[in-house]
Amino acid sequence: METTEEQKTVIRTTDISKTYHESKIPVQALKDVDLEIRHGEFIAIVGPSGSGKTTLLNIIGGLDNPTTGSIIIDGTDISKLKESQMIDFRLHNIGFVFQQYNLIPVLTARENVEFIMLLQKKHKNEMESRAMSLLEEVGLTDKANVRPSELSGGQQQRVAVIRALASRPKFILADEPTANLDSTSAANLLDMMARMNREEGMTFVFSTHDQRVIDKARRVVTLEDGKIISDEVRS
Amino acid sequence: MLITIAWRNVWRNWGRSLVVIGSIVIGIWALIFMLGFMNGFTISYVNGSIRNEVSHIQVHHPDFREDYDIEFNITDGVARTKEILKLPEVKAAAPRSIVNGMLSSPRKAGGARIMGIIPELEKEVTRHDSLLAEGVYFTGDQRNPVILGIDLAEDLRTEVGSKIILTFQNENHDLVAGAFRVTGLLNTTSPIINKSRAYVRMEDLNRILGTDDDVHEIAVYLNDPEQVPVVMDELQPRFDGMDIESWRSISPDLELFLSMTDSFLWILVGIIMVALVFGIINTMLMAVLERYRELGMLMAVGMNRIRVFLMIVIETLFLSLVGGPIGVLAGFLTMHWLGIQGIDLSAYSEGLREFGYSSILYPYVADKTYLIASSGVIITAILGALYPAYKAIRLNPIEALHTV
Ligand SMILES: Nc1ncnc2c1ncn2[C@@H]1O[C@H](COP(=O)(O)OP(=O)(O)OP(=O)(O)O)[C@@H](O)[C@H]1O
Ligand SMILES: [Mg+2]
Repeated sequence: METTEEQKTVIRTTDISKTYHESKIPVQALKDVDLEIRHGEFIAIVGPSGSGKTTLLNIIGGLDNPTTGSIIIDGTDISKLKESQMIDFRLHNIGFVFQQYNLIPVLTARENVEFIMLLQKKHKNEMESRAMSLLEEVGLTDKANVRPSELSGGQQQRVAVIRALASRPKFILADEPTANLDSTSAANLLDMMARMNREEGMTFVFSTHDQRVIDKARRVVTLEDGKIISDEVRS
Repeated sequence: MLITIAWRNVWRNWGRSLVVIGSIVIGIWALIFMLGFMNGFTISYVNGSIRNEVSHIQVHHPDFREDYDIEFNITDGVARTKEILKLPEVKAAAPRSIVNGMLSSPRKAGGARIMGIIPELEKEVTRHDSLLAEGVYFTGDQRNPVILGIDLAEDLRTEVGSKIILTFQNENHDLVAGAFRVTGLLNTTSPIINKSRAYVRMEDLNRILGTDDDVHEIAVYLNDPEQVPVVMDELQPRFDGMDIESWRSISPDLELFLSMTDSFLWILVGIIMVALVFGIINTMLMAVLERYRELGMLMAVGMNRIRVFLMIVIETLFLSLVGGPIGVLAGFLTMHWLGIQGIDLSAYSEGLREFGYSSILYPYVADKTYLIASSGVIITAILGALYPAYKAIRLNPIEALHTV
């Protein structure tokens, strides 16, 4: 990757706070979070349970709005977007990998990988070749025509990652992508994500509890009680 | 792809889908069958009335139908009937001389309409020769034969071979009478004929009346009922000043009956649609709730509301597109088979005959019924999909994804 790209800011959050008013006592899940994420980064958001990791990722991903503060993604202030514009923005700019239920059960692995490209109205040929080459890269060529129920948890998550990747988003958000995997599969998935980060230059932002996963990150942002308490870049 | 997903989703819970498809099939089939049955009744009633009583077209003196007076006649009726018979569309035509009179047997007396007919012409129009319960149709060489409706004969406590006296007014409003011998009893599907008609030869009646070739009614039976307006137009100039009426205006009850069947169609469609709509809402709501997380994921990754909505609607539509044709086909085959076989109602026909039905029923539905049934089901499916689809697009992706 060229250095100019490397330095380009993809996500910038400014003083975002989030307060939930669902119970009698308001819960402040995030407090003044300032975060800048540059193109090509491989970042783990870590912290104890309830520290606000999911809340932060949801807000960065445009699935939720902050109570105050702003999020600028590649120059667009997403807190100003309307609901329908936001869905469209997500489709074209953000890749998602969830903890589970990522895939559409009635579609094959290949169709799942093509799905977002399809929503983006990409050409059929492009879709097919990209899906197949990505499946090959993660060693799932022989599973291309198999439905998710016949895949292992680790394989499903790999399909979910390349589905996100296939749609060429600005970055991929993954909230505890390894939480439902055994440690070997978790490590494999992380290795694969790291490889995609290197080879495709894809920016990954993921949250985790797992120390072995944290060890693979190049930058680790630690949250506690909704605040960033440390932000370290490793070599 | 949306279509692929929707289609595969249909078979995801195939047991549940089959229940819905099954109810659509049964709904359509029941609709077609019930209508066919209704239509069969209506048509047999209407055709029976036209065939044995009303015929397609009748010609009268304009005042005759209001006030059955002997002077309101069609002059030269017999000769003019023969002219009508030359029209290619006309299958049969019969002149009738009509009086209202009194019939007395040695035991009892009662009123009836006395029809003076020319048997050879009349039997081609009304086929009464085939509807005799007893006796013969003006074939014997007995003097003054009369054929009575079967119930009329019973009222008069008379029977074939007995004598009765017919009394009525002649042209000068003088009472005249003649002795007739009962030679046959008519059992038609028409209660009016059975209860209050007496048929005599026109020559016998007119001799007593003192008229000769004048008649009060000419009944015309056509090869094709569709030709009624054409033939009416042709008759108009020939019978200037006379009333030429079709069976629809002669017997408005038949028309009413037909239109009732039509309204019945819509009522049935409505009932079946309402029943189906609830079944579909229920099923699709279950399908949506079951897939809450998946739908949440789809919306999170960028599937917009229109697409989610369409996916649910298309899925529902598929249910009806599978069930619809099967139901229509089942209905069509049933109708086709029963249309040939008929349904034998002779076990119940005593009661039915009272109301003017014949005992073998041939169910029938118009082609448009299949179309109405199919589009009804498709509309139902769409209506039934709206609420579940609305539910689906209202969901909040974050909440949906966190539902465990
Ligand atoms: N919808 C909500 N309504 C009310 N409070 C909420 C809601 N979502 C999260 N919270 C609260 O906000 C805080 C942060 O939650 P969050 O889910 O972001 O934590 P987390 O770091 O992802 O935790 P975990 O590691 O368990 O996933 C918690 O105190 C949580 O109880
Ligand atoms: Mg979390």
